[in-house]
Amino acid sequence: MGDSAASVARRARTIDVDFALIGHQESWRAAADVLAVLRGPERTPLPDEEIKDILPWIPPRAVCHVDVRSIAGAKARGLYIDSFIPPDRLEAAYVHENIARVRGAAAYAIQAGAKIVSLGGFSSILIEGNFNQLPERHDTVFTTGNTLTVAFVVQGIKNMCALEGRNISRSTLLIVGATGDVGSGCARCLAPIVRRVLLSARNVERLRRLAAELQADGVQVEIATDLERFSAEADLVICAASLACPSLLLGRIAPHAIVCDAGYPKNLSPSAEMLGAKVFFGGLGQITGGLRFAPDFHGILNRHPFPDVVHGCLLEGMALALEGRFESFSQGRGFITQERVEEIETIAARHGIYLAPLYNADGPVEDGLHCYTHGPEAERV
Amino acid sequence: MKPVIGFDSSAIECTSLSPSAPIWQDILAQAMTGELLAAMNYTSLSEICDDPAEVADALEHAQGERGHAAAFAAEGRKIGVDVANNVDAKHWKRLRDAFLRCIAESDFIGCLIVQEIMLESFAVASYSRVGKVAPGSLGKTFARIAAEEEDHVEHAMSILRSERARDAQRFDDKVYRLHLDVMTTLAQMLAKECKDGHCEVCHASCVKPSLFDVSLSAAELRGASLQQYLKTLDMLGISGEVTLAWVTQLPV
Repeated sequence: MGDSAASVARRARTIDVDFALIGHQESWRAAADVLAVLRGPERTPLPDEEIKDILPWIPPRAVCHVDVRSIAGAKARGLYIDSFIPPDRLEAAYVHENIARVRGAAAYAIQAGAKIVSLGGFSSILIEGNFNQLPERHDTVFTTGNTLTVAFVVQGIKNMCALEGRNISRSTLLIVGATGDVGSGCARCLAPIVRRVLLSARNVERLRRLAAELQADGVQVEIATDLERFSAEADLVICAASLACPSLLLGRIAPHAIVCDAGYPKNLSPSAEMLGAKVFFGGLGQITGGLRFAPDFHGILNRHPFPDVVHGCLLEGMALALEGRFESFSQGRGFITQERVEEIETIAARHGIYLAPLYNADGPVEDGLHCYTHGPEAERV
Repeated sequence: MKPVIGFDSSAIECTSLSPSAPIWQDILAQAMTGELLAAMNYTSLSEICDDPAEVADALEHAQGERGHAAAFAAEGRKIGVDVANNVDAKHWKRLRDAFLRCIAESDFIGCLIVQEIMLESFAVASYSRVGKVAPGSLGKTFARIAAEEEDHVEHAMSILRSERARDAQRFDDKVYRLHLDVMTTLAQMLAKECKDGHCEVCHASCVKPSLFDVSLSAAELRGASLQQYLKTLDMLGISGEVTLAWVTQLPV
């Protein structure tokens, strides 16, 4: 932090990266913090109103270098590229503008020579059904990162059930946004181990196709586009849709239901409609081998209550880079299978990338005893 | 230095009946001042060029910029306003002084960086925005001149890319040094409010708060200018990570 622009210049001139992470800021507060680091501690932070005026004009570009180390000894160098989607434009009305920004960020990653690019947060949602809209790729491959996100959502559900003493095989699972890439992946992984599955999404045809696929394996499935029809029946809920106010749409749910916020941005919190619900943020992993940002954006680009926690979608690119597997592991929509989830879980674990301790908007929901803390054995890269 | 066309703000009157005419009058005054300053810069540049082709090129550009200034003055007459200019106004003078320091060092590349990368980014972006909202021939003139200025930049880019290819480190350091000087002044000019007094170009009070009346805003003109600047630096091959830090460190 506090690097002069000249010293940043010297470092950045030798771009030679294994991976790139494409992301954006979820809130104006987060955007302000990023710009404050870039301005340096010797300058007063930009006023909020100025940030709202300036940020939408910034073209996609790298913000910092990201170096990651595996517990097996491998190292990978990367770049974090921000698409600078304004936080108040993370919605369908701006889809064309936002796709253009992600395309710009993708072009930047290609030019930087990244071998693999992870599409983080909203970028992944925008591109999962539009891979053909990415620029010509040369030697760069893109992954939505959704398979590792699914892996961490599923692990989180299992851990939460264990923490709460629930028998998952007796549970009724509701997936909101079930036909999306993450939602359908979670359905395939969890359907075989729960009693009953309720699928909710806007597109009936896609719902029918997914239900038929699961029913062919003997799963008890029901579908509905009306979310409230299902809400009260489920004791496990995965909210994989990116909704502005998911708690309102969820409506009344079963008391003491376990609710995983697997959407983006993470905006589900215990509310009047969900009294007694155990809410946690899903799809997050933790790097235990070492993670370094230059300039230092620790706690700013990854704003979580535990150290070195990163969204699964971004971690997938890092894990594949550490593994030396430069391939589009997650591509398109609806292709995530249990086998692929197990494969990426194994790769991630080999390099010390595990499910992050569970937490929600109010803080940790478990004691975090297994949480990695910075010690001599967890050396910074 | 005397204004190229005499400036006496008290003598400038707006005879147009259009309520937006005084706003266009000030926008035209800023544009005209910028064009005349560019003409002066190219004339100065011609004096340090060794190659006769470069001399001719610089003088041709100077003539072109004077033509743009005349076009803006003509647009003012069409809407019934006199368009003033003041290349000695505080911000514009600082920009001219920065250019003259490059001239004093016979730094041809530095001159191109100041004029073509920094000042023209501002001109292309702001004229383009004005061109989209200004009515009739006024809008067309701004759009046409924006396109012509963009051609200038294209021409300079090939020279600057070749220079950077020779020694990227040295080139980038030079751009950064000039950025601190020139872009700091431009950022102050482009601030949403003129906090340090009258700009000495607007004919009465600051035009910025009135820009909303003609579907513009100071924030939009600043944003578009900085975006154009960043994209131009990208085209030169300077790392976007570096230029992002440069721009975020500018005053607001």
